[in-house]
Amino acid sequence: MGATGSKLEKALGDQFPEGERYFGLENFGNTCYCNSVLQALYFCVPFREQLLEYYTTNKSPGDAEENLLTCLAELFTQISTQKKKTGVVAPKRFVQRVKKQNELFRGYMHQDAHEFLNFLLNELVDILEKESVAAKSSPETSSLPEKSANGQMNGQANGFKKEPLVTWVHENFQGILTNETRCLRCETVTARDETFLDLSLDIEQNTSITSCLKNFSSMETLNAEDKFFCDKCCSLQEAQKRMKIKKPPHILVIHLKRFKYMEQLGRLKKLLYRVVFPLELKLSNTMENADFEYSLFAVVVHVGSGPNHGHYVSLVKSHNHWLFFDDENVEIIDESAVQTSFGSAQEYSSNTDHGYILFYESLGYNNN
Amino acid sequence: MMNSSHAATSINGSASSTNAAAGQSQGLKTYFKTPEGRYKLRYEKTHPSSLLPYALAKSITQITLANLKDQPGPQADLQPSSSYSASSGVRFVASRFLGGGSSNGGRVLSFVGGTGTSKSNGGVGRSSLTGGLNGCNSTVNSNCDGKGTYLIFNVGDTLFISELKSQDKDPVKAINFSTSNPVCHAFDSEAKDGHDLLIGLNSGDVYSVSLRQQLQDVGKNRCTSITWIPERDGAFVVAHADGNLYSKDGTGDTSFPVIKDQSQFSVAHARSSKSNPVARWHICQGSINGITFSNDGKYLATVGRDGYLRVFDYLNEQLICGGKSYYGALLCCAWSADGKYILTGGEDDLVQVWSMEDRKVVAWGEGHNSWVSGVAFDSYWSQPTSEDIPENVVYRFGSVGQDTQLLLWDLAMDEIVVPLRRCPPGGSPTFSTGSQSSHWDGIVPVGTLQPAPSMRDIPKLSPLVAHRVHSEPLSGLIFAPESILTACRDGHVKIWMRPGHCDSQASNSEALLSSVVKEKTLLPTKVGGSGYK
Repeated sequence: MGATGSKLEKALGDQFPEGERYFGLENFGNTCYCNSVLQALYFCVPFREQLLEYYTTNKSPGDAEENLLTCLAELFTQISTQKKKTGVVAPKRFVQRVKKQNELFRGYMHQDAHEFLNFLLNELVDILEKESVAAKSSPETSSLPEKSANGQMNGQANGFKKEPLVTWVHENFQGILTNETRCLRCETVTARDETFLDLSLDIEQNTSITSCLKNFSSMETLNAEDKFFCDKCCSLQEAQKRMKIKKPPHILVIHLKRFKYMEQLGRLKKLLYRVVFPLELKLSNTMENADFEYSLFAVVVHVGSGPNHGHYVSLVKSHNHWLFFDDENVEIIDESAVQTSFGSAQEYSSNTDHGYILFYESLGYNNN
Repeated sequence: MMNSSHAATSINGSASSTNAAAGQSQGLKTYFKTPEGRYKLRYEKTHPSSLLPYALAKSITQITLANLKDQPGPQADLQPSSSYSASSGVRFVASRFLGGGSSNGGRVLSFVGGTGTSKSNGGVGRSSLTGGLNGCNSTVNSNCDGKGTYLIFNVGDTLFISELKSQDKDPVKAINFSTSNPVCHAFDSEAKDGHDLLIGLNSGDVYSVSLRQQLQDVGKNRCTSITWIPERDGAFVVAHADGNLYSKDGTGDTSFPVIKDQSQFSVAHARSSKSNPVARWHICQGSINGITFSNDGKYLATVGRDGYLRVFDYLNEQLICGGKSYYGALLCCAWSADGKYILTGGEDDLVQVWSMEDRKVVAWGEGHNSWVSGVAFDSYWSQPTSEDIPENVVYRFGSVGQDTQLLLWDLAMDEIVVPLRRCPPGGSPTFSTGSQSSHWDGIVPVGTLQPAPSMRDIPKLSPLVAHRVHSEPLSGLIFAPESILTACRDGHVKIWMRPGHCDSQASNSEALLSSVVKEKTLLPTKVGGSGYK
């Protein structure tokens, strides 16, 4: 382990980014789903910085009730404050906490990395919201606004409709989708907003993420069994529905639905489809037609041909270098190696590395 | 096609990882229809199925059409001798060019091409090159003078040569490179001294061959594209993955100074005019994915990892214009025969039409469901002369993508060229006026690169026809006088006869059939020769 560390340091030489740490994570028996997601989140720099800040402002032993947030903050701090630049860290406390909190992750079974990411982010949001409520209800502690960077102080008097709290987890990952439904009889458009922390996309063989996003937002006709109740017509009507992105998130997390329940088989099947993803991406299905540009910085890769076994690794971009994280191992890779995780154009293939969760960070609007 | 004066065209593939592929599968139709008629699948070309090397896992496919006018040269270019003499037709032109120069020279000399010195079997790896050439020497010679049209394509570590108009699926020749994979090639029937095919290797080495050439690229410095310079006897240009482009003329070896600023365009010349390469152009950070000259050889277009199309005045070594993709890398580019338009395709799934007159993107073709890996104008297609207004020029072009589809497009321009008349159904009502006003914003000054356009500012085109032609992602497209050629990344090539050519060809092929059958029986031994060791 120490040897690989120094190898990585040698490979980077004086290009080793100042203050950066590249640490592998120990595997405690099928915890690669966790490790791969943790690495992707660690190199999501705005998220990491918030967590490190959270750790410094909350480390007073007084309110030391352990939860997933404190465990994660502690783990990230542990990595970022290592004396050495490379090496291995054991995320023991964090993994124990995950297993304690959710029985789903308790066994030694192969787990779904996306489910884990989802669970983790929602858990963090819950904890932050609870802390914020606690902070507000006791005026003594409200002098610590850093706790929830964006706690909405006004509006809570209006008890019957609580403003949803925007935590820094939301600030990083949350986007808003608008579900537009147009009644084909009265032409009234009903728009309903919903928030998301990631987008789960259906995939098809030999397509691109651009194409999958297009399908996601494409017009869908509601008819026959699936009619729409129009408030204006006061009856079920045929309608056209489509999803648009109203507010693009700062960190766009895209989940490829590679594990599909096959009814005739009665079980999950892994779709090995080849789905290409560019290193830069724009969302054209946004409301304002804004050409919002993103850059890929992490890919969680599922290795294996089936849904119930296999391995997770992650590819991460840090300071313009691409790194490969496989539990304890960290290696530097060429940018073009990202292409090896696109998938296979044929049904049966020896290549079973598949991009599963993609992390894009916003570069902001085009300033032209 | 575009460089018809050279009787050669080529298709570039992009790097990809493949499974050992097989079956061109079911469910693919053998024809597609356009307004002018039906295109029929006529021939398929592939590598011998028994020889699926594991190396295929990192294959890059390019195809080149080579039109051998008459006898390639009396001194038997394909002579089955094991010597490295000039007449064996292989010449090592240049080793990979690293910025610092370093000690490549020794290596170059140790391998002896056909340059006269004959240190036989210089390098361990390279000795197999001769093996390959000799072992597979076959039907090209048996066809008497070798006249005809050949299809050259690379799969894994091997370069295959097939006859275009033969029923035979298997290649007539295979050239194996055991140390590195051939990745790009270009052909020039006018080349002096018979060295008409350039081959770039994955290691960055370049060979010139009579009738074939290989490029190798290794790692970051692989060759990505290669092209002859029109009207410049024997000179050619090679693009590399490190963002450099070299123009080459004779033989020899040059070292260039280290590039100071990776993000800046710079040109360095060789001190001696006799050494090779004669110049290094540093174009961009990241790989150059495609290069093509305009037909007159005046302009050079490049596309690359940074998403920019750049157009250079080649003789004056000056950047003329260029612009960024909507997003992501650009993978391919092609000129119209009249030099007025450039097509590009890339990772934004769009086919982009660049106008040289306006120095900007004038249309986006939307229709691919994945990255666009090959584009080309169809210079053999002629506009139906019926009720159309005569001034209204229509260009026909095609594109192939990683979605396994071939798309054909018509680009209709009125005299002013912009705005285009077509717009997508449900496009915003302000759309056409918007594009018109931006057209009159004035011509961009020379040498500036345009930022990525906004989605709503660019008129959209819809494809005339979309056809799924292979089961693997496509890597290239060529328009030939009687056919359209498509290639996919696992090394299959399909030849689609144009409407009107199907029938005459059918009878023709029957006449050929007897000889074809003969070849088939001969082939396995030939192709399976020492080249595959």
